Amino acid sequence: MKRPFVGTLALLMSSAAAPATAQGVFAAAPAAPSISLRPFVEVSNEKFLATRTFDAIFGETSARFWGGGLQVTVLRDRVYGEVGASRLLLKNAELVGQRVFISDGKVYKLGIPLRSTIAPLEISGGYRFHVHPLVVPYIGAGFGSYHYTEQSDFADAPENLDVTHRGGTFQAGVELRAHRWIGVAFDAKYTHVPGILGSSGASQQFAGDTQSSAQAKREKDLGGWAGRLKVVVGR
Amino acid sequence: MPDARARLAVAMLIAVSLVAFRGPLHGDQRYDDPPFLILPGVGLPAVNVGLMQDESHAPDAPEALHRVAIRAGLRGDDGARPAASFRPGRLIVKFRDEAPDVARLSALHDASTTGTIAERASHADFDVVHLSPDEDPVTAARLLMDRHGDVVEYAQPSYRMHTMFTPNDPYYASNQWNLPMIDLERAWDIQPAAGSSITVAVVDSGLAYQDAMIIANVPAFRDDQNRRYPPLGRINIPYSAARQVVSAAHPERIVAPHDFIWDGTSFATMPFDFDGHGTHVSGTIGQLTNDGEGTAGIAFNVKLMPVKVIDSVWDFLFGAPNEATDDVVARGVRYAADNGAKIINMSIGRDGPPAPVVEDAIKYAVGKGAFIAIAAGNGFEDGNPVEVVAEIASRVKGAVSVAAVDRARNHAFYSTAGPYVELAAPGGAIRGFGASGAVYQQTFNFDFTDTFLLPPAQYHAPRFDVMGYIPYSGTSMATPHVTGVAAILMQQGITDPAAIEDALEKTAIDLGVKGRDDQFGFGLIDARNAMFGLGLAK
Repeated sequence: MKRPFVGTLALLMSSAAAPATAQGVFAAAPAAPSISLRPFVEVSNEKFLATRTFDAIFGETSARFWGGGLQVTVLRDRVYGEVGASRLLLKNAELVGQRVFISDGKVYKLGIPLRSTIAPLEISGGYRFHVHPLVVPYIGAGFGSYHYTEQSDFADAPENLDVTHRGGTFQAGVELRAHRWIGVAFDAKYTHVPGILGSSGASQQFAGDTQSSAQAKREKDLGGWAGRLKVVVGR
Repeated sequence: MPDARARLAVAMLIAVSLVAFRGPLHGDQRYDDPPFLILPGVGLPAVNVGLMQDESHAPDAPEALHRVAIRAGLRGDDGARPAASFRPGRLIVKFRDEAPDVARLSALHDASTTGTIAERASHADFDVVHLSPDEDPVTAARLLMDRHGDVVEYAQPSYRMHTMFTPNDPYYASNQWNLPMIDLERAWDIQPAAGSSITVAVVDSGLAYQDAMIIANVPAFRDDQNRRYPPLGRINIPYSAARQVVSAAHPERIVAPHDFIWDGTSFATMPFDFDGHGTHVSGTIGQLTNDGEGTAGIAFNVKLMPVKVIDSVWDFLFGAPNEATDDVVARGVRYAADNGAKIINMSIGRDGPPAPVVEDAIKYAVGKGAFIAIAAGNGFEDGNPVEVVAEIASRVKGAVSVAAVDRARNHAFYSTAGPYVELAAPGGAIRGFGASGAVYQQTFNFDFTDTFLLPPAQYHAPRFDVMGYIPYSGTSMATPHVTGVAAILMQQGITDPAAIEDALEKTAIDLGVKGRDDQFGFGLIDARNAMFGLGLAK
C-alpha cells in the first residue's frame, strides 16, 4: 500500500513544483486568511514496525485507521497545527487474532482469540510550502498519546492490557486544493510509540530472539509508517 | 444386565469345558497343556471397591520393596539393584550400516566365543546377539567397542528396566490435589477436547483395557527369603478392564496395543497389565472424566496405546518369554512412534551404564514427531544415582525428565535430583501426608493380585477383576502429568516435540533455587500457563 501512495505523492509534488518555483516558493495564496480553522477527516493505512509480532498474532502487518480532527493554519497558511484522533477502521475498532507460542522462531497459533485496539490522539504542527496556489506541500512533527488495549479469551483481568503511552510523529505530504473550501491531502506519517510492546508477550520474545538490534527496537515499537488521506474543510 | 448374564454364562461354559476336557483346575501341573492362554472378551466387569487407603505403593513401602525383591529373585538376580542388572546371554549390538556381514561376524567372533546374531526383531535398528549364559556380556560389549569401532556403532548388555514408582470423579475434589496443583481446571477451559485427536503411548507394564479369562499353569517358585511357594497348577484368572480408563462403549480408544514382554507369542497384541502400574499411569493421563464416577484424568479424551515393556511377577510365573530390558524398551519406543503415537510416557528407567539403544530409540521417536516424558527416578535417598533414561532426555530436545513434588509443592523425598532434571510435577508422597498425599487412580486392588506377598500357606490364585482407586507415589506418577499436559498442548496447536518442551519449561512455576535447579528442573508444570501462550504485548 505504501509504495503506490508515495509514488503518487512524489508525482504530484514534482508536477506541482515546477510552476511553483517559477512563481516563487513560499508565495502564500493571495486569498489565505491569516488564521484559519479547518476540520478534517482522514483514513490511513499503517504498516507496523513490529512486523514479526503483528504477523504472528494477527496474520498481517498493517491496519487501516480512520479519524478526524481540527487543523489551524496561521501566518497566512504557512504554519499549521492540528489535533487529531483516530481508531482502527475495523469491526468494533478491533484487530482480532489469536494467542501464540513461539519456539525457536517458529510461531504456533493456539486458537485463543485476542482482540486489540489502538487509539492515537496526536498533536502536531509544521510548515506549509506554498509552491502553487493549488498544491501545498507540508512537513510537520508532533507527539501523541496512544491508547492500547489487549484482551484475550480465558484471560484473568491482570492478563489483559489497557495502557496509554506517549509517542512521536513525523509527517510529510501535499495538500491539493480541490475547491475553495476543500483540500485533499496525502501524506506519509511515521510514528514512534515505545513502552507498550517489548516488555511481555510475543513482542518481547521476538525482540529478544532477533540478532539485529534495529529489528529488536522495531518489535518494541507500536508505531509504524502510514499513508494517509485527509479531506480538509476550510480555506 | 442381560449382557453381563450372557458373559457370565459364556465364562462358566468355558470353565466347565476346561474342567471336563483338560482335567482339574488346581493341583498337579500338566505340562502338555498350554502354559498360558488368554480368552479375550470373556469375563465380567470389574468389581469396584472404590477409594482405598493402601499405602503399599510408595517407593519406600515394605510391600513395594518385597515386590521388587520377588521379581528380582524370579529372574535369578543376586539381589543387586534391578537397574544395575542385565539379562544373561544377550548383547545388544548396533553394527554400522556400511559394515558387511563378513566384518560383522568377524568382529563378533573376536569379541565372543559363543555369540550368534539373532534374526532382527521388528521395530529395531539394532541386533540382539545371543551368548552363552556363562559369557560376560559386559566384556563382550567392551571388546566390540574397543577393537571394532569401524564395524560397531555401539554394543551394550541387555540391561533391565523397571517402573519408576517402586511398587505402590467423585474423588476428584476430595483426593486429587495433584490436578489443581498444575492449574488444570483452567487449562480444560481452554482446551475442553482434552486431546481427542492425539494418541498417547504408555510404554509401561500394560493396561487393563479388556475383559478376559486367563488360563495359566503357575509353577512353584521361591521368593527372596527362599520360601517355597507351591505350584498353583492350572488356574482360571478373571481379568477385567479398568472401566474408568476404557469404557465398554468406546473400546476404540485403545490404539495398536502391543506386548513386547510376550512378543513372539500369540499374546503379543494383548498387553494385559499384571502389575497395575501401567493402568494407574494411563489413568492419570486419560482417566475418563466428568462422568460422575471415580477420579479424573488430564487429557481425558486421548487415544491410548498400551505398549508393554515391563514385566511383572505374574508375567514371569505365566511364562513370558521376554523381560524388561533395554532392547525391549527401545523396541517399544520405536513401535509407538511407528504406529502414530505423538506423545510417549515412560514412567520407567534404571541406573547403571549408559543405554545407547534406548537413546537411539528416543531420538528416533522424537524425530518422528513424538514428545516423550520420562521419570527422573526415585533414588534420592538411595544414593541419588543417575537415572540413565531420564539423563538421555536432557540431551534430546523434545524429551523431558520429570521429577516429583509432594502435596506441599516441596521436592518429594524420593525424587532423584541431578543436572538432567528438566521439569517437576505432582508425584505425591505418603511420608508426612499419609495416603492422601499420594496420587489416586483406578487400578487393581492388590489384595487380590499380589497374592505372592502373602505367606506361602496363604498364597492363592490371583484375580485381576477387582479394581479400586489406589494411591501411588513416585516420579512414575509425576511423569503422566507432563504427558497429559503435553497431549493437550499438542491438540492446542504446538505440534513440535521441541516446542512442547520449550512451552512447558518456559511456563513452569519456578520452585527451589531461583532458575533451573537439580531438584525441580525449570519448575512445576503449569498446564494453564502453557496453554495460554503469548499475546501481542502481554
